[in-house]
Amino acid sequence: MDTLKEDLKKQIIEQLNLEDITPSDIQDDSALFDDAGLGLDSIDALELIVLLEKYHGIQVTNPDEGKEAFKSVQTMADYIRKRKGDL
Amino acid sequence: MSVRITGIGIVSAIGLSVEENLAALMEGRSGIGPVRILDEAKDLLVGEVKLSNETLIEQLGLTVKNVSRTSLLGLKAAKEAWGKSLHTPELRTGIISATSVGGMDRSEIFYKDYLSENNPDFELLKTHDSGSTTERIAAELGISGYINTLSTACSSGANAIMLGARLLLQGKLDRVLVGGSDALTRFTINGFRSLMIYDDAWCRPFDESRNGLNLGEGAAFLLLENEKSTQISGNETICYVNGWANAADAYHQTASSPEGTGATLAIRHAIEKSGISISDISYINAHGTGTKNNDLSESVALNNVFGEHIPPFSSTKSFTGHTLAAAGAIEAVFSILAIRHNLAYPNLNYKTEIAETGLVPVTSLQKELQINAVLSNSFGFGGNNSSLVFSAIH
Amino acid sequence: MAYISAASTISHQPTFRNAGFSNVIQPLQQGSVLISPDYKSFIEAGLLRRMSKILRMSVACSKDCIAQAGIDQPDAIIVGTGLGCLLDTEKFLNNSMTIEGLLPPTSFIQSTHNTMAGQISLSIGNHGYNMTHTQNTLSFEHAVQDGMLLLNEGEEHILVGAADEHIEILDEISEKLKINFETGLTSAASFFILSNAKSEATLAKIRDVRTIGLVTDVSAQIKAFLAENKIGPDGLDLVLFSGKPQDSAEISYSENKNSPIDFTGFSGVYPTSSAFALHFAIDKMGNNKTLKHILICNALNKSNLGLTLIESVEA
Repeated sequence: MDTLKEDLKKQIIEQLNLEDITPSDIQDDSALFDDAGLGLDSIDALELIVLLEKYHGIQVTNPDEGKEAFKSVQTMADYIRKRKGDL
Repeated sequence: MSVRITGIGIVSAIGLSVEENLAALMEGRSGIGPVRILDEAKDLLVGEVKLSNETLIEQLGLTVKNVSRTSLLGLKAAKEAWGKSLHTPELRTGIISATSVGGMDRSEIFYKDYLSENNPDFELLKTHDSGSTTERIAAELGISGYINTLSTACSSGANAIMLGARLLLQGKLDRVLVGGSDALTRFTINGFRSLMIYDDAWCRPFDESRNGLNLGEGAAFLLLENEKSTQISGNETICYVNGWANAADAYHQTASSPEGTGATLAIRHAIEKSGISISDISYINAHGTGTKNNDLSESVALNNVFGEHIPPFSSTKSFTGHTLAAAGAIEAVFSILAIRHNLAYPNLNYKTEIAETGLVPVTSLQKELQINAVLSNSFGFGGNNSSLVFSAIH
Repeated sequence: MAYISAASTISHQPTFRNAGFSNVIQPLQQGSVLISPDYKSFIEAGLLRRMSKILRMSVACSKDCIAQAGIDQPDAIIVGTGLGCLLDTEKFLNNSMTIEGLLPPTSFIQSTHNTMAGQISLSIGNHGYNMTHTQNTLSFEHAVQDGMLLLNEGEEHILVGAADEHIEILDEISEKLKINFETGLTSAASFFILSNAKSEATLAKIRDVRTIGLVTDVSAQIKAFLAENKIGPDGLDLVLFSGKPQDSAEISYSENKNSPIDFTGFSGVYPTSSAFALHFAIDKMGNNKTLKHILICNALNKSNLGLTLIESVEA
């Protein structure tokens, strides 16, 4: 099991106060911002930027940069690994 | 519709009186610069009023010392607008102010000490609530009776003017001071930073490269009077407020809709109410905060209403910073000055048009135009959109 | 004149969707708690997850009112709040002083006073006039007045309400500032539909509402208000009051009528508790046809006086 992705799911639920949702409800590749997925919005996008800094020490200064990274839990995990590898 | 404006008062980053503000607008001199009075990171760009609280208290001759900066700034502007008006039992006088955070400047001091258990001064909290900031101004001016405060984020000041005009037209009051006041606070600075729309460089309204706002502080008030009141006061009419409207965007908690729904409704309804034809609007003082979202949405709304014939427009937020609840009132004063002196102000820091809409604001001071009627926009959080129309026409 | 076509309150009493509550409720005891409905049946999950107490109460009451009145959309939404969204305000203040680095924006967004009115418009897709009045204990009366202005300007149905929420630190603050209340500080929201015409839904009428800030002559103000509304000394069937306006002869009227009631005994204390009093008055009128005129005398804050004159449908 990929612990980074599992951790991310728990962190997303906590940061966004997603009541009634458990980590197992979130698929690795389900769209976070699509109504068919979690249906998140631009405020959530900012909260996810906070999440990246708080739990992963990654700073995103341009909100647009987050857009690609926040497509799914999978892309978030990839983004974190890439940023950490870069450092 | 028309309601008389017989007094104006203002304090902002570009001046401590109407005269000083007008001079700065004409010289194209911005009041935004590195923070000096507020305890913040030294390179932060803000539109501060260059007076400490102590100086303000002294200048205003206050005996009460437990006063928030929001009240101090408001009182300074309200006194200028009130001028030499006298109290008389024949006239029902009211005051409507607007503020977004009230006495938060003092609550912050309390809360810091409270968290660190450093003997917090609970008395500071007596100025926290927004209503108390207006009561303080009313008390110093000797106004009792109708005292009210509106708080609709960045459109609050415009809404205070609108409510005052409606109260006068319905015969509930004879004269009313209307305006708004907000002091810079760490709360709001941190807040806009958390939204990632606080620009570390100078704000650039309506520019393709715009990247957020700079906050400012200040206050402005207008004195509105009915005919009975002007007959007793003898005050000259400076200008009229002719149209007003407020509409909800109902799109998003903070962002404006890409179609500019609420903004379009507010602008259209305000112009309709004024009875002035769309083609007679000579200048628009735009909300233009410098955020990507607002300026695009507002541009779309201007296109919706004016089509190919958008009047000269500019945002003066690159002069004053975004003064939140005071903005609508400060820009009302600028609109009135535009009419009085036939001016259209430059939109400082503008270089390139927004790709999607291609609108070009006024870039240098225009003195050759005949400014008869001005539209002033104020749009806020929660999709709260207000527009006002001012003119020299009764 | 405004016709009240709907009323909805969430409070520390069983007020929500419980017509006739005024007959059965008892004065609050210390340590009472908010009685919340199941918010999920009123508010979308996506919006609900971020909402503090004050927002949940406000949106649920609003939706309940719109359903009661049987209208699609009100022409305007007007909210009065004394202290606004305290929970989110304190949360953001706390975060900004304790967190190094990026701050979560949600509590800042929801700290502004117009969040209730904004969230209501968002929840029901309303593009009308949207206003928030915040004049501490007179915030609700100002909202009602604004609503009545709109009815005079030709609007038909206005959603008007008030909400305030209690947070823990308030108890400590009121103790330190020596603002003590017997019943304790509470949270509540009350919303109403004010309409320009009588209908089957009409519950009662608001004849007049007035606010007097920095008041010095409470008794004279009450007298003038009643005189202007042509209500004689025996014209009031009941007075609901807060604070201490009892010195006024108009409040302590003749003995054969009902005794004045301190409504904060039932609502608890919060800045917009006169909104609870309005619902309480309407509900009492529904239960007792002899109540034709009720005055709400809000003197919770001694420098602010709010007067609301309510008339039964039959009067």
